[in-house]
Amino acid sequence: MSGGIARGRLAEERKAWRKNHPHGFVAKPETLPDGTVNLMIWHCTIPGKQGTDWEGGYFPLTLHFSEDYPSKPPKCKFPQGFFHPNVYPSGTVCLSILNEDSGWRPAITVKQILVGIQDLLDQPNPADPAQTDGYHLFIQDPTEYKRRVRLQAKQYPALV
Amino acid sequence: MTTAGEEAAAAGEELEPLFEYKRVQPTISFHFDDSDLEKADIFRHCNKRPRVDADAAAEEGGKPDEKGAPAKVVDVDEDEEDWLLPPPPKAAFKPPAEEDSALRELRLKKQEFAKFAESAHDILQELDATTKKQVGPKEPPEQIVLDEESEPEVEKARGKIVISIQDKDGKQQFRVYKDEKFDKLLKAYAKKAKLNPSNLVFVFDGEKINPSSTPEDLDLEDDDMIEVCHKRR
Repeated sequence: MSGGIARGRLAEERKAWRKNHPHGFVAKPETLPDGTVNLMIWHCTIPGKQGTDWEGGYFPLTLHFSEDYPSKPPKCKFPQGFFHPNVYPSGTVCLSILNEDSGWRPAITVKQILVGIQDLLDQPNPADPAQTDGYHLFIQDPTEYKRRVRLQAKQYPALV
Repeated sequence: MTTAGEEAAAAGEELEPLFEYKRVQPTISFHFDDSDLEKADIFRHCNKRPRVDADAAAEEGGKPDEKGAPAKVVDVDEDEEDWLLPPPPKAAFKPPAEEDSALRELRLKKQEFAKFAESAHDILQELDATTKKQVGPKEPPEQIVLDEESEPEVEKARGKIVISIQDKDGKQQFRVYKDEKFDKLLKAYAKKAKLNPSNLVFVFDGEKINPSSTPEDLDLEDDDMIEVCHKRR
């Protein structure tokens, strides 16, 4: 039942995305080797915001939807070891709107999730650290933090 | 008819008390007589209820003298002419029985009809359902037909879709042939945007669009959005 709801909602999300989405963003359901589409996993790209140290980077993000979506938020993961104060070493993003017990609402769209994460990139939340490396540099060594961010942006250039 | 009715009514009035009376004074002999009477005369006039007639006769006989069976017979015979009229009341009595049976038959028939009506209704519903089903299946074929019709259109006019092209400043909509290579769209866009087409590339779902491919190749749908990126040097 809930699975049907989740897939129905995700199909709608995909439909809406194809017709309009913010520039530079990518969000598409996983395509299996046999050509079938798995709506429960989306491969996305979040562009670093212009005018920030993140500019020029196109960061891959994977959304893992559960059968309980949209009652529960998807798990959003950057690559393992992604440098950011609010990203766990596993790559999982720590963000209030992605927390079932905090800011998540079923009405939040995929687009809003991705834009929300883009905002988070340049506006980390020091009150809720998820990794020591990024958090300590952000607090104690802004210059080094900036360098690391720019370095990482170059590691994820545009695909095109 | 009127006379008969009046007489019948009168007889009925008389009969009712008489009935009670009979009950009070039933005698076997009377009955025997009655049966005889019935066989004899009353049957001629009405085959319906000899007993009633007999009773009536007995009553009549009973009034004058309750004992003399033969006398009664005579009386009855005499009265018979008069009692020809009574048959209506008897008929009225009988008819009830007949009516009952008739009513039963009617009810049965009603039930049958009701059942028939129900079954007919069911059949109608089934027909509706089947027709809908038939119509349902028919629709796809019709759509297929439409598709077939549209295909020729594609051949003639070629199918067109609207594609939104998004750049950093916003998006514009272009109406293109489904089977037209993106190369042409790219040049059209570049001309409009006053850019060098060789520096531009279309992107769909994060992947470069091969200029020699077509919207059909990418399964693009109406109102789908693609992005334009500037090639990096």
